[in-house]
Amino acid sequence: MITAERLGKSFKARQSAQSVKAIDAVTFHAADGQVTGLLGPNGAGKSTTLRILATLMKPDTGRAVIDGFDAMADPLAVRRSIGFMPHEAGIYPRLTARENIQYYANLCAVPKATAKLRITELIDMLDMGAFIDRQATGFSQGQKTKVALARALVHQPQTLMLDEPTNGLDVIATRGLRDIIRKLAAQGHCVLFSSHIMQEVAALCDHIAIIAHGTIVMADTVDGIRQQTGSQDLEDAFVVATGGVV
Amino acid sequence: MTVSDFQRVLTVSVKEIKDNLRDRQTVFYALLFGPLLMPLLIAGSLIGSMKQLTINFDQVTELPVINHASAPNLVQFLRSHNIDVVDAPEDYRTQLRDGDIQLVLEIKENYAGNLRRALPAPLTLYLNESDRDSSRAARRINALLSRYGQTLTQLRMQVRGLDPTVFSSVAITETDISAEGASGQILASLLPFLYIISMVMGGFYLAIDTTAGERERLSLEPLLSLPIQRWQLLLGKYLATLLFVGMSLVLTALAIFLLFRFFPSETLDSLLRFDGLAIGHALLLASPLAFFITGLLITVATLTRSTKEAQTWLGLLMVIPMAPFFILQFVSIKSAAVIMAIPMLSQYKLLEKVARNDPIDNLHVVLSVGGTLMGALLLLLVAMRLYQQDRMLR
Repeated sequence: MITAERLGKSFKARQSAQSVKAIDAVTFHAADGQVTGLLGPNGAGKSTTLRILATLMKPDTGRAVIDGFDAMADPLAVRRSIGFMPHEAGIYPRLTARENIQYYANLCAVPKATAKLRITELIDMLDMGAFIDRQATGFSQGQKTKVALARALVHQPQTLMLDEPTNGLDVIATRGLRDIIRKLAAQGHCVLFSSHIMQEVAALCDHIAIIAHGTIVMADTVDGIRQQTGSQDLEDAFVVATGGVV
Repeated sequence: MTVSDFQRVLTVSVKEIKDNLRDRQTVFYALLFGPLLMPLLIAGSLIGSMKQLTINFDQVTELPVINHASAPNLVQFLRSHNIDVVDAPEDYRTQLRDGDIQLVLEIKENYAGNLRRALPAPLTLYLNESDRDSSRAARRINALLSRYGQTLTQLRMQVRGLDPTVFSSVAITETDISAEGASGQILASLLPFLYIISMVMGGFYLAIDTTAGERERLSLEPLLSLPIQRWQLLLGKYLATLLFVGMSLVLTALAIFLLFRFFPSETLDSLLRFDGLAIGHALLLASPLAFFITGLLITVATLTRSTKEAQTWLGLLMVIPMAPFFILQFVSIKSAAVIMAIPMLSQYKLLEKVARNDPIDNLHVVLSVGGTLMGALLLLLVAMRLYQQDRMLR
């Protein structure tokens, strides 16, 4: 479960002394057993929001509570409870897929026997049998994403945060990933999923938070958003919600 | 730090070591180039050039001589000075040019006759100036021949009732104190130089790969979302790099030891001590530097965003460990207590003393170890601080 309350974060611009507001007063809620979509155009503040929720950055203002732990006060407890997958897989090319996953299991202090069992489960679930013991150099985007997802899941986190996970995946791989995400939500996990692709969010999410210019402009169920904006088509609804300026 | 904290640090270290051992470039530079090839290249060529410049009068060599039958006394004199006279080949000019032989002495037909009549007895020395070995051999023979000539001159004078010293208006004694002293100095500072450079080489790629490389391949972001403190992560990377730096140090010591074992140099032995004990002593004195150099590499690499940027900066940084080597060649810095607390510089001074077999002040050792470890700790703290910043993710 994720609760974000009025999160704000500014960055110093590289060339000038001025700071740029990345997000401002971001407020939304993601419940357990549901897939929540963080929908917004590129540069809207999706990654910054996810990074704050994953305790990679401290917000300037506001607070975030994940599975009952305050992200600012107890970041380690939050990290034990979450699985985070950034939009670049970032796996180690000289390690095998299994070693990549095992490394994360070790860092999360998953006992050896449990980790072994869990990795076997993940190989099955993500269909990684063909490449699990191969070095990751030259893995396709889909294979990399699978390894990254397995890494994020190896310590069985309650909450899952995925930053544009379908980036660079083909249709079949995207479908496979959607099935996995649905399954995880059905098992009671809280899944937060960021994307800039409307169809993807519509196909997958129970709840949507639309983010534009660093702030949440609307957060509701898919039907709720349609009602609020008065448009049946989600794309139209998105344009209305973001004020047409995206 | 609890047991599980330590396990996490170790997990990071083990992963980085395993990961980098699979990288040929890292392994080549850390374990082959820095510790083995470089001492061979640098020290080897230096010892080689010293050997070439020095003439060993005790070494028995053969000298091809044309017409040696007409100068039995000269042949006897040469033999008593470790020169064995042999017949010169017919095509000695070609062989000289090709470097097959180094020197040919020709005793002219009228040598014996002139000698008897107390006229200058003609000798011709054929040599090849473009061949360093040839000129070196010529120097040796020339020195011997002029001694032989002097003896004959003295005898001729004495026969005529003259005091030979009357004709020596000046007595020149050449004592070269610079040449040996200078090369001795260079070789003494070579020991710290090789140790330091190979340590930098050893940790170079690992420091870059584990910090800037991790950022570049975007694997840092998911790593930071794991239940591990950032300082633990950095400490793990530090320890992995330290292992490579330490291995380089030990391997270099071994390489230097073997180098002087297999290529002993008498000239060097009279100047410096490069036996196992001295090399081991130097290794101990240099070991605190492993912590410092690792800290320096990690901190600078952490400041950069990509491996290329890190390589540029660390490449420039390579000047720092080399600086004392060059500075000390020109400026003599007294081993003042303040100097001895400066990392690198103090090791240069101490290791030079080990090589020259000079006594070492215990206070200097304490200052050197303390100053270097303090510097290492400071660098580590800076790197840990850097890891806390948001900019690590950009």
